Amino acid sequence: MTATQAIRTVAQGEHPPLQRSAEERRSRTRQRRTFWLLAAPAILGLFGSFVAPLLYMVRMAFNRGSSDGVIEETFTLDTFARAVEDPYYWKVTLDTFLMGLTVAVLCVIVAYPIALFLMRSQSRFKSVLIALAIAPLLTSAVVRTYGWMVILGGGGLINGTLIDLGLITIPLQLANNFTGVIIGLTEIFMPYAILAMMSGFGKLDPRLEEAAGSLGANRIRTFLKVTLPLSLPGALAAGLLVFVLAISTFVTPRLLGGGAVRVLATEIYDQATGLINWPFAAALSILLLLLFGAMIAGYQALVRKLGIDR
Amino acid sequence: MTAVKLTLDRLTKQYRAGLAPAVDRLDMEVEEGHLVALLGPSGCGKTTTLRMVAGLMDPTAGRIVVDGRDITATPVHERGMGMVFQSYALFPHMDVAANVAFGLQMRRVAKSKQTELVRNALDMVKLGHLASRHPKELSGGQQQRVALARALVVEPTLLLLDEPLSNLDAKLRETMRTEIRSIQRRTGATTLFVTHDQDEALDMADRIAVMNGGLIEQFGTPADIYERPRTRFVADFIGRANLFEASVAAASGTGSKGETVYRIDVPGIGTSEAIGEAGLEGSQRTVLVRPHRVQVELGAQPGGLTGTIENVSYTGDALGYSIRLGDVLLQVERHTADGTIPARGEQATVRWAAEDAYVLPEEVRAP
Repeated sequence: MTATQAIRTVAQGEHPPLQRSAEERRSRTRQRRTFWLLAAPAILGLFGSFVAPLLYMVRMAFNRGSSDGVIEETFTLDTFARAVEDPYYWKVTLDTFLMGLTVAVLCVIVAYPIALFLMRSQSRFKSVLIALAIAPLLTSAVVRTYGWMVILGGGGLINGTLIDLGLITIPLQLANNFTGVIIGLTEIFMPYAILAMMSGFGKLDPRLEEAAGSLGANRIRTFLKVTLPLSLPGALAAGLLVFVLAISTFVTPRLLGGGAVRVLATEIYDQATGLINWPFAAALSILLLLLFGAMIAGYQALVRKLGIDR
Repeated sequence: MTAVKLTLDRLTKQYRAGLAPAVDRLDMEVEEGHLVALLGPSGCGKTTTLRMVAGLMDPTAGRIVVDGRDITATPVHERGMGMVFQSYALFPHMDVAANVAFGLQMRRVAKSKQTELVRNALDMVKLGHLASRHPKELSGGQQQRVALARALVVEPTLLLLDEPLSNLDAKLRETMRTEIRSIQRRTGATTLFVTHDQDEALDMADRIAVMNGGLIEQFGTPADIYERPRTRFVADFIGRANLFEASVAAASGTGSKGETVYRIDVPGIGTSEAIGEAGLEGSQRTVLVRPHRVQVELGAQPGGLTGTIENVSYTGDALGYSIRLGDVLLQVERHTADGTIPARGEQATVRWAAEDAYVLPEEVRAP
């Protein structure tokens, strides 16, 4: 139907037909085809590199493994039963969760003032400061972990200094335990936390703080009443990101933990490469995935409860 | 005589050494209950001045005195100013009632009293029914009213408005103008109002401070500013203006408001009359004639200045002419009812009553 026809139909008091014209339908089909063509590489890539291995992993968890590395193709819940029944894995899971939570909380606390400062800075060197804050990302986590081993170790920088100063005689146990891993992870994930918060702080208009000030709020009350509530979504998102990164990281717990720190990631590694028990490693991986899911659900419930998704 | 509420004493702000000051030794006195507009082009220092009064910015030098008390060093949260920001700056995480209650909460007003005051303030801006909405759910005009209620509910020492109407559409701006003015009159809040819109300033203000380059060019009533500008900048910035240089000849009488009537000689054009302050005889001065005060007749007529019509613009209500008189292109505006529309290139004679031309007291600045 041409435009003139349409006008005439309306003018005559008839309703134009609700059906789409053939031409319109053809153009819609064409649009849809373009969409799938453009999305195809990404979908294929994602399927091949992520979805398929994940499905394979899920299937693997239902096989039966043994300590001699033989994988029996079957369909059993043995692996899950073992993970659930053995209190050791409950402890590992709990430790993983607590480590992730501690690192996330510490990281947010340490990175928050930095992110706020970088957001607010009027300095000419602002971009340089931001680059400096995220520069550690240029070095691999492995190298930085070794750095922390040097700093935190028994004869390391901190203990050496404290002993030289005569403050302590026996070195503090800073490495090869959870303390070391948490210190290391907090520093390693700080740049992520800073970046996540800076993007999350977008709505934080300095005018709002000025308005609070003009209405009689001093700096502390302005922070508590205005800055903090408005920056909370960014801080929470950063916390979630760090938590997810922390519970899935393997290198730092392994190296800085010195074998004493047992979390899901190190456990999965040991099962998969040391004991070649792939089915059990797969089951533990699913456990880790569930932990992710629980955390994300918890995060969303929290966001909704605080009403900050508005 | 009314009391002086706010005094600015040589108030200066220089953002960086070596840079021209944004506000330069500003002196101003604001009377209790007045609405004063700080008017000027962007970068003239009007917002800087307001922010210094609010306490959001430290002056480089000078003093701010409110009710006889020097508050230059008082931090923002102890000044008790009510500020309305250009972007309104409503707290997005609080509903309308909580936004308005914020200042009362900071002053530790009792809860029940808070509720009552908030209700009154919202009723005043006709938003009582939207108390539980969030700022995001309000229109621009409504947000503006909330911001106004939030600033007024604490009975501020001064109400400070930073371009409060610039984010509204033209029609709403007119309504809000009247409304802000009537609320201001009712509450009697002494108000400083920053704007770059001369209509707004003329319409709303008791006094206007025209600012330019960090200085106050003129401080006076809207009529003063419009009719008796002191400088070429003010004459040009406020309303439409014909400005040309003339030699002021002998005084020839006294105007109705006591000004001196001078004969003026416009080089290459002819002589006419204008009024001005006493003692300007024999000087070179700029003369201001508003376009709608010029009378125009077609053809060369005796007793006026004759020129050629270069352009005619018809806008329905009015006819605008551009008439070439020597080096001067005179803008003239007449009601369409005055007669037929002349053609370009025709001759026309212009004249004005002595009272309609004003000799600026400012000396002609060397170009």
